[in-house]
Amino acid sequence: MTSSHSVFRDESKLDINYIPAKLPHREREQRLLAEFFSFLLQYPGRMSQRVILTGDVGTGKTALAQTFGTELANQTKRKTLKFRYIHINCREFRGSLQPILHQTVTAFRANYPARGYAADEILSTLLQVLDEEETTLIITLDEFDSLIEKEGSDAVYKLTRIHETRQGKPQRLSFIFIMRDLKAIEQLDDSAKSTLQRNIIRLDRYGKSQLIDILNDRINLAFTIGAVAEDVVDLVAELAHSETGNARFGIELLWRAGKYADASELSHVRAECIRNAISAVLPTLRRSELVSLGFHEKLFLLAIARYFKENKEEAYVPISEAEKAYGIVCEEYAELPKSHTQVWLYVQYLSKIGALKAEVVSTETRGRANRISLPSIPAVELEQTMQISLQEAKGEL
Amino acid sequence: MEIEQVFSSKPRLKILKLIYTLGQLNVSDIGRRININYTSTTGHIKILESEGILELRTYGRVRMYRFSGSKKAQAVAGLIEAWENQSQ
Repeated sequence: MTSSHSVFRDESKLDINYIPAKLPHREREQRLLAEFFSFLLQYPGRMSQRVILTGDVGTGKTALAQTFGTELANQTKRKTLKFRYIHINCREFRGSLQPILHQTVTAFRANYPARGYAADEILSTLLQVLDEEETTLIITLDEFDSLIEKEGSDAVYKLTRIHETRQGKPQRLSFIFIMRDLKAIEQLDDSAKSTLQRNIIRLDRYGKSQLIDILNDRINLAFTIGAVAEDVVDLVAELAHSETGNARFGIELLWRAGKYADASELSHVRAECIRNAISAVLPTLRRSELVSLGFHEKLFLLAIARYFKENKEEAYVPISEAEKAYGIVCEEYAELPKSHTQVWLYVQYLSKIGALKAEVVSTETRGRANRISLPSIPAVELEQTMQISLQEAKGEL
Repeated sequence: MEIEQVFSSKPRLKILKLIYTLGQLNVSDIGRRININYTSTTGHIKILESEGILELRTYGRVRMYRFSGSKKAQAVAGLIEAWENQSQ
């Protein structure tokens, strides 16, 4: 709930999971995507389709696919066709095919066992279920790069060639793959590669004027009338434009600036709120990226943040100390700490996504030691972000 | 089997209620949720299956039970529904 003097009318419209009804400046791509699937909608089961959406962060790939999914649901309801659309972010499953397929099957058979069955088995179950229900399924695999990275050619081959093993049967499974860039495809072997490189929709970076339109669209939905002045929108668009034309960044910035305005009991968002917001936005690790972290990874990050908050003079924390801090945080959240090996895997992953920096140093007396630093994120900011995120995660449990 | 024999067992009624509420389930899951062992669960399910109330769906190695479309199954589902709605 927003208080009576809030600048927000409905801040959920700025949430990363909000699917806008229309996508300004993506009309051509929307038409193209619909065109790729038009035959499928006309003659379900006669063919399957694979489309790749590619573009930089914040160019509207996810929104484009989800809007398509919503539109598909509306259309099929009107025409009483049996279509389903499922959107899965591969990174949330660390790019593993088995849990991704399990998630898909549970959309149809909620109690399908989570463990003990290989990806192949789940995939054939999925097709059996689709046959039983005479349904055509379009799955969007968002952040598909992470699946390629984790599973390689075999998984891609399995997914895209599944219908070849079902000659004569209806083709019930189609895919939209979302990738930041197409380089990941290069790692695949030729046969897997050839199944992917057909229908590619590239989403170019937004220009500044396009960003202004997008931001205004969201402002109309999320803020009270007159809460965000034209020059403020212009400033946000400028900043988002310099961030590789990242619309999501601009929207996130608006939300944060709105929060600053509310905290200062202002009736509108000032340029100063934007400046405050930009200085507080984590430069390497955005809220959207934190959402996909596991619960214990968040606990570990919170522990690191607290360590550096308490030890302001120190630039590095040895891993043994970090683990102690993590143990304390686990106790606070009534969780059993994970093993040293597991924690080390967390450190490597968090280091890879830029949340922290892990390095091995040689010491004169005791050989090599691992240490962790927080090069680009203020500890206080990280602590707050992690606490909120953990609270949300606890609430969902 | 006579009707009183089928419904004289608490675990069997629990199984029916569970499957009515959750849809399809496999044997291990059923046993875990109502806290009885695998062998007993299988025994009860076999009875309900032979009476035509439940049916088995096989997905590869995964075996899941659900209400069949038989008259008996519909009647049992109707009974549970009426009972559950009344108790709410």
